[in-house]
Amino acid sequence: MNTMRLGIAALAAAVSLNVSGLAWAADKHVAVTQIVEHPALDAVRKGVKDVLAEAGLTEGNGLKWSFESAQGNAATAAQIAKKFAGDAPDVIVAIATPSAQTVVATTSTIPVVFSAVTDPVGAKLVADAMHPGANVTGVTDMTPIAAHMALVKRIVPNATRLGVISNPGEANSVSLVSLIEVEAPKLGMSVVVAAATKSGDVLAAARSLVGKVDAIYIPTDNTVVSAFEAVVKVGNEASIPVLAGDTDSVKRGAVAAAGFDYYDVGRQTGKMVMKILDGANPGDMPVEGVAKSDLFVNLSAAKAQGVTLSGDLIAEAKEVIQ
Amino acid sequence: MIEARQLAVTFNAGTPMQTPAMRGIDLVIPEGDFVTVIGSNGAGKSTFLNALAGELRPDSGSILIDNQDVTAWPTAKRAGLVARVFQDPLGGSCANLTIEENLALAYARGKRRGFGASVSAAMREEFRAHISRLNLGLENRLGDSMELLSGGQRQAVSLLMSALRPMKILLLDEHTAALDPKTAAFVLELTREIVAERNLTTLMVTHSMRQALDIGNRTVMLHEGRVVLDVRDHDRDGLKVEDLLHMFEKVRGSELDDDALLLS
Amino acid sequence: MSQIAFLGAIEVGLLFALVALGVYLSFRVLQFPDLTVDGSFPLGAAVCASMIVAGADPYLASLVAALAGAGAGMVTAWLNVRLKILHLLASILTMIALYSINLRIMGRPNVALLGEKTVFTPLEALNMPSYVALPIALAILVLGVKLSLDWFLNSEVGLAMRATGVNPRMARAQGIHTDRYILGGMALSNALVAFAGALFAQSQGAADVTLGVGVIVVGLAAVIGGEALINTRAVWRATFACIIGSIVYRLAVAGALNADLLGLQAQDLNLITAVLVTLAMVLPGVRIPFRKKGSTS
Repeated sequence: MNTMRLGIAALAAAVSLNVSGLAWAADKHVAVTQIVEHPALDAVRKGVKDVLAEAGLTEGNGLKWSFESAQGNAATAAQIAKKFAGDAPDVIVAIATPSAQTVVATTSTIPVVFSAVTDPVGAKLVADAMHPGANVTGVTDMTPIAAHMALVKRIVPNATRLGVISNPGEANSVSLVSLIEVEAPKLGMSVVVAAATKSGDVLAAARSLVGKVDAIYIPTDNTVVSAFEAVVKVGNEASIPVLAGDTDSVKRGAVAAAGFDYYDVGRQTGKMVMKILDGANPGDMPVEGVAKSDLFVNLSAAKAQGVTLSGDLIAEAKEVIQ
Repeated sequence: MIEARQLAVTFNAGTPMQTPAMRGIDLVIPEGDFVTVIGSNGAGKSTFLNALAGELRPDSGSILIDNQDVTAWPTAKRAGLVARVFQDPLGGSCANLTIEENLALAYARGKRRGFGASVSAAMREEFRAHISRLNLGLENRLGDSMELLSGGQRQAVSLLMSALRPMKILLLDEHTAALDPKTAAFVLELTREIVAERNLTTLMVTHSMRQALDIGNRTVMLHEGRVVLDVRDHDRDGLKVEDLLHMFEKVRGSELDDDALLLS
Repeated sequence: MSQIAFLGAIEVGLLFALVALGVYLSFRVLQFPDLTVDGSFPLGAAVCASMIVAGADPYLASLVAALAGAGAGMVTAWLNVRLKILHLLASILTMIALYSINLRIMGRPNVALLGEKTVFTPLEALNMPSYVALPIALAILVLGVKLSLDWFLNSEVGLAMRATGVNPRMARAQGIHTDRYILGGMALSNALVAFAGALFAQSQGAADVTLGVGVIVVGLAAVIGGEALINTRAVWRATFACIIGSIVYRLAVAGALNADLLGLQAQDLNLITAVLVTLAMVLPGVRIPFRKKGSTS
């Protein structure tokens, strides 16, 4: 074996075992791990940071802020988790299920606040959402499906068949579709599901629903939402009302959505982080669902898709798009 | 005894490049014969060899080894009966493996491979004994990679490899063609020795009429996919290259005009 | 770098060393560029996690995961030797099919294992923190796998497999049924990768359908990186190089994550990997003064 080469490798490893930048003992250290960069997840992160700033904690002024994105790679997420466990921050914020799972597997002592996780119990992050009991708590972005189905029925009262497009490879989306299949029938709507494994398949999936459904609902599915315009095109052409689970989609052509802003999810997460920094125990903090909900409507989309929105509805809306 | 009956194969059948490489080759090779095979380019020599080895499935005809029909047998199945030395020194061995590993591969030809060590101490000693007869100084370099050897050294080792296990026929495919004259002579002499020692039934394809007449006990000439000449023992003794050419003209009614064949 | 991050790099490095050994078998020994691993790694995780959640014994689940991987490898090999599909294409076909198959096996895109009984659960009884116990346990396991592989590749069957990759025509002339060896070799290769996937899911708390992204790149980076560091003439050195390559790669990643002075982040990982693999391929030219070519050991 070549000793010299191995020696150089060892030296390189030693150099990397550096001491990271100086931090005052009084600084609060918040470490954020995110599975992939994406507008919604980035908005969560911003929400957290803004809440901390409003409380007087900014970088260089009482706060040490670490952020790493795993670029969609599970092994990287694992190494990030280990780095953070070794850095021993005051709180680890884990955005999205895979990042949260590997953090929870790595540390049982450092407080962990997850965010943008649709099913924390199913993901085994907490055993009991009301009394987590360990070092983990957080905010779930589970869509209030029952409320959304009610909105669909309110806008399209005669709908008996509801179309849904979803990527079977996204955990959150799959959970939402199951919930829809429970809630929609309660309001007299049967459910037709069309699958799209990548954004290029969305148009075909939407077309497959024409003639089979009275309305289309798009849950917060990264794949389908990224190709939302394709669904709108079909909705406009075939006069099928399109509703969404996220409010950004309304300005892109959905009739209406009662959604939340991921920025607000981030703010809610930030508030939980502040409580923990002030000494609260995560195990005593119940998992929170999204508190704020806004109604958005789009009048031209309503016209294109053959829907009349009542005056009451428009008055309730937070934002009305012409 | 090796028997080839009416072997025929056409390459690219049905296309403008259609080539009938073998048009009905009949040959019987009794045990102990050392047959040299000559012919111009395209005569079907390599094709015939590939058919015997199992690399090629003939369109029609059959091959029998000791009265067993092996026509449909793939190369690997036939390997216990057929040993082969390729023309390309690189093609006949595994460059990345060591000399002893190559020998070990040949040592297991025809045997059922198990999970025992590929090269045991006893095998190594045996290899050392075999390889020292080459007088190339390789007996202390058994652990060297094959790619370090020169072309001639590799062919010599390939010859040794082919003779490690018993076989029904040894196929030599222009195995000295890629070597310089001195090395070619060395390998040819080695061939003579090994074949004589073990009384191996051998089929040697060569591009040189001179070589074909000097070695072995029988010479066969192929032309356009058929056997056109077959002389052995006494009939062959004392024949010169011009004699072969005359015999060819008589049989074919035309002159042989392959310069390479005539001049080598 | 903290101790946890350092040991964490060793831990992930050892897990992926199994992947590197699998990639070495297909890519180097059989000369078969095999992308199946992007599918067989999550396949192992999927099978193992689904079985554990259904109540099966974790050791059995991990073994079945390996067998599933073997099956996937054989499908790719069969497409190549029987249907004569180009090896790279055959492996891509299997990888694509496995995405759907893995989803079916799990029933959903993520199966959580946090809190379940895994092969690593007995380690918790030991008197040391898990971030120390896991790397040690994995080191013992990987060493065992390496030694077994060395023994296998030096057996008659193993030598025949190596010949199949180096010179299939000559191998057939020596009586080696190359088709069978390709099937067997690919099965073994993907069994190792699937087993690694099963272990990864158990140590990281979940099997996710996206686990396979980039596995072949990481495996190749480890194999090629190892070859740049260590002379791989003999089989035992080649397998050792795979393990070292995998660990060094993970240490480099951890180093980049922890080197605040460089300002590197995990986002730069793809660039770092590309630089590492390029260096690894360029270094052999620089190495020559230090290495005596051709001699063993």
